[in-house]
Amino acid sequence: MTMPKTTRRQFLGSTAALGALTVAPAWTGAVVAQEGGQKVLRVRQDGDNAILDPAYMVGGTEVEAQKQCLPFLAEYVEKDGSFSWRPTMFVTKLELRDPTHIDFELTPDLKWSNGYGTLSAEDVKYSYERMKDGDWAGYFEALDSVEVTGELTGTIVLKQAFAPFFMVTLCHGPGAIVCKQATEDAGGQFTIDFPAICGPYTYTYTPGQRVVFDTNPEWTGPKPEFDKVIATVITEVKASELAFDAGELDCTELGSDTLARYTQSMPEGTAVTTAGQLQYMWMGMNTDHPKLKDIRVRQAIQRAVDVDSILAGAYSDTTAEMHGIICPGLLGHREETGYDYDPAKARALLDEAGVSGLELTLRTLNNQERMLTAQIIQANLAAVGITVKVLPLDSGPFWEMGQESKGDTWKDLELWIMRYGTTPDPYEATQWFVSDQVGIWNWERWTDEEYDRLYQEGIAETDEAKRRDIYVRMQEIMENTGAYVWINHEPESYAHIDQIEINAAPSGELNYRRFKQV
Amino acid sequence: MLVYLIKRLGLAMVVVCLVVLVLFSLLHLIPGDPATIALGPRATPEAIARYAEKMHLNDPIWQQFLIYIGNAASGDLGLDVFSNRPVTAIILDRIGFTLALVFASMGWAVVLGIPLGCLAAVRPDSLLDRITGVLAVGSIALPSFLVSIWALLIFAVEFRWLPAIGAGEPGDFSDQLSHLVLPAFAIGLSWVGYLARMVRASMLEVMGENYIRSARAFGLRPRKVVYGYALRVAILPTITLIGMGFGGLISATVFAEIIFARPGIGKLIFDSVMARNFPVVQGAVLVATALYIFVVLFSDILIAWLDPRVRESL
Repeated sequence: MTMPKTTRRQFLGSTAALGALTVAPAWTGAVVAQEGGQKVLRVRQDGDNAILDPAYMVGGTEVEAQKQCLPFLAEYVEKDGSFSWRPTMFVTKLELRDPTHIDFELTPDLKWSNGYGTLSAEDVKYSYERMKDGDWAGYFEALDSVEVTGELTGTIVLKQAFAPFFMVTLCHGPGAIVCKQATEDAGGQFTIDFPAICGPYTYTYTPGQRVVFDTNPEWTGPKPEFDKVIATVITEVKASELAFDAGELDCTELGSDTLARYTQSMPEGTAVTTAGQLQYMWMGMNTDHPKLKDIRVRQAIQRAVDVDSILAGAYSDTTAEMHGIICPGLLGHREETGYDYDPAKARALLDEAGVSGLELTLRTLNNQERMLTAQIIQANLAAVGITVKVLPLDSGPFWEMGQESKGDTWKDLELWIMRYGTTPDPYEATQWFVSDQVGIWNWERWTDEEYDRLYQEGIAETDEAKRRDIYVRMQEIMENTGAYVWINHEPESYAHIDQIEINAAPSGELNYRRFKQV
Repeated sequence: MLVYLIKRLGLAMVVVCLVVLVLFSLLHLIPGDPATIALGPRATPEAIARYAEKMHLNDPIWQQFLIYIGNAASGDLGLDVFSNRPVTAIILDRIGFTLALVFASMGWAVVLGIPLGCLAAVRPDSLLDRITGVLAVGSIALPSFLVSIWALLIFAVEFRWLPAIGAGEPGDFSDQLSHLVLPAFAIGLSWVGYLARMVRASMLEVMGENYIRSARAFGLRPRKVVYGYALRVAILPTITLIGMGFGGLISATVFAEIIFARPGIGKLIFDSVMARNFPVVQGAVLVATALYIFVVLFSDILIAWLDPRVRESL
C-alpha cells in the first residue's frame, strides 16, 4: 500500500482552505429547514405549557398547542386589516339560525387518537357545557346548553343574544373541543398532555425545552404545509430575537425596540407580520378626586399631552395612535379623536377653571416604556403649569390601587397609565367602564346611563352597522368625560423568514397549521 | 473525622432551614395579595379562593413553613400551582442540565486556570506571568452575562459556528455537547482568572518552602518538583475555592440559561418568580442551596483527607 504524498506547500494550502471554510458563515440565506425530507418549521414558544385543558388553561402558548391538536368550530380570518370568523375544517356547517341558536354539523370521520373513535356532537356538548364550571366560565356565560340532534349535528343554545360568541368564544382557546371519553378517563381534566387529539399534528412536550408537533398519521383532513413544527421554549424575547438572527428560528415575536430597528432596516430574507393590535393604553384621571373634579381641568390635561412625542420617544413609532378603546381591525374602531394636542387651549381651560400651581401624582408600572411615557407626560404637563410627580409601582400594588376591595389607595388616585388587552370583539373592552365597574376596573369612577344601556344593546345586536354605531358612541361618551388621554395600541409583531407566510390570532397566538410556504 | 463530619452535617441542616425561612419571609413580603398576583388582576374570586386554599395561603405563615419543612423532609416539595406536577419531578427534569453546565464550566476553567497559574508562578515577573496576570484580571472583571451576549453575538449570530439556543436534541450527545460550549465558555471564563491567580499565589508561597529547596538540591527534575511536590500542597486552597465556585456557578447559570434559553434550575427559578409560582421557587431554591452546601462540605472533607495537618487539627 502506498501513502499519498503531500508536500508542505499542499498541506499548508489545504489547511488554509479548511480554515477559511470553517470561518465562513455556515448559513448564507433564510430557507425553510429540512429534516429527512420533511419540511420543518422552527418557532419560539414563550413559556412552558402548564395546563392544556381549555377549561383550566393559563392561556397563550397553550392555545397555540390546542389549535394544532384539538378541533375548533370557528377560526379567525383577517381581510383588509379587519378581523372576522369563518367555519373551520372540522365543520361542514356553522350557522346562526336566530340570535340564540347556532346550528353546526361536524365533518365526518375525523378520528380521535388513542382509539377514542370519531369526533361527535356529544364531544361538542361535553366540551362547552363543562366550560361553565371552569376557569374560563366568563366566556360561556351566555351559553344555555348544546342540543345534540345527531351523531354529527347539534345546536348551541344561548340564554340571550350574544353577538361576540363566535369571535370571542368559538374562535379562541376556550372554544377548543375535547374528547369526552378521553377526558373522563383522565379524571375529568388534564394538564401537560392531551388525553386524545384530533388535528393535523401530534404533540410531544419536553418540559423546559420544546414542543414537537409531528404529522398525525390518523388525520384525514387537509394536510398542513409543514410536516413538523419544533417550538423551542424561549421565555425572553431578546434571546428569541438573537436565535432568529442566528438562523435557528424561522419565526419569532419582536420587542418594540427590535421592531423599530427592523422597520428602519429590514434584514435580508426577513419579513415582519403584525398579528393584531389588541392592547390599548391610556392615561386615566379620577373624576372623583377633588383636584380633578372640574371637567375643564381634565380637558386641559387631555389637550396638554403630546401623544405623538410619546409614540416617538417611548415606542420608536412602532405603535398605532389610539383614538378610543376599540382596537384597530375591530368593529367600532375610531379613526380620530375629539380633542387635539393644544397647550394654549389647555392653559386657557385651566385659567377658566381658576386652577394654578396644580400638583398631581402619576402612577405607572415600572417598566421601561411606561416610565418613558410618564416622563414625557410629566414634561408636557409642566409646560402648562401642572407639576407631576411620577410614582413607579410593581405589578402587585399597581393592579390593586383602584379597587375599593383592596384598600383605600383609590381615594388618592389622581393620574395613572393603564394598559388593557382585549379579545377581537368590541364588547370586552367596553365592559370595564359600565357603572357596576366603578371601584373595580372603572378607576376613572364616572357613570353614564346611556353608556350602560348601549353596552347591553351592543352585546345583543347582530347587525354590524348598528353595532359599529353603538361602540363608536360609547367611546365618545368616555372621551367626553375628559378622564382619558388615549395613547396607543401596541402591536403583536413577528419577524419571520420571507419564505413563509405566518398565521396568528389577533391576540397573537400562532396557528402553525395555517402557516404557508411562499 | 467522624465528629467533624457530624458537626458539618448538622450545620448544613441549620443553614438549609434558615434559607427556607428567609425565602418564606421574602415571598410573603412582596406587596399585594399573593393569590391575585399569581393569577393576574382579572382572576375570578373563585379562582383566587381555590388558589389560596391549595397554597395554604389562609394559614399562618409559621404553619405554612412547618408544613413545607415536614413535606420537604420526605421528598415532597409540593405541586406546581399551574400544572399540578410534583415540584420534585420538575426539578429532576432540569437539574441535570444545570449540573452539566456547572461541571463543564468549572472543568475547562480548571484545565486552563491551574496550569496557567503554575506557569506564572514558576517564572514570576516574566512576560508570561505578566500576560497571564492581565488576562486573569480581565476575565475576572468581565461579568458572565456580558460574555454570554458577546459570545452569542460573535460565535452564533455572526459566524454561526455554534448553536445559539436550547440544550440540543434530546438523546443526541454531540448536539447537546455543542449546545454546551458557548454557555460553559461564558460562565467559566472568569473562573480561569480566579484559579490562575489563586494557584499562582499559593505556588509562590510553597515554592519558597524548605522542602522544595531541598528537593531541588537533591537534583529532582523541575517538573517533578513543581507538579509532584509544590502543586500538591498549593492546590489545597484552590480546592476550597473550587467548592465555593460551584455554588457561585449555580447562581451564574441563571444568566446563561436565560440568554441561551437552556433548561435548568436557574431559569426555572427565574420563570417561577416571574409567574409567582411559589412552590417551584421554594423547591428549586432549596435544592440549589442544598447542592451548594453539599459541594462545600465535600470540598472540606476532601481537604481534610488530602492534608494531614487539617486532619490532625480536627
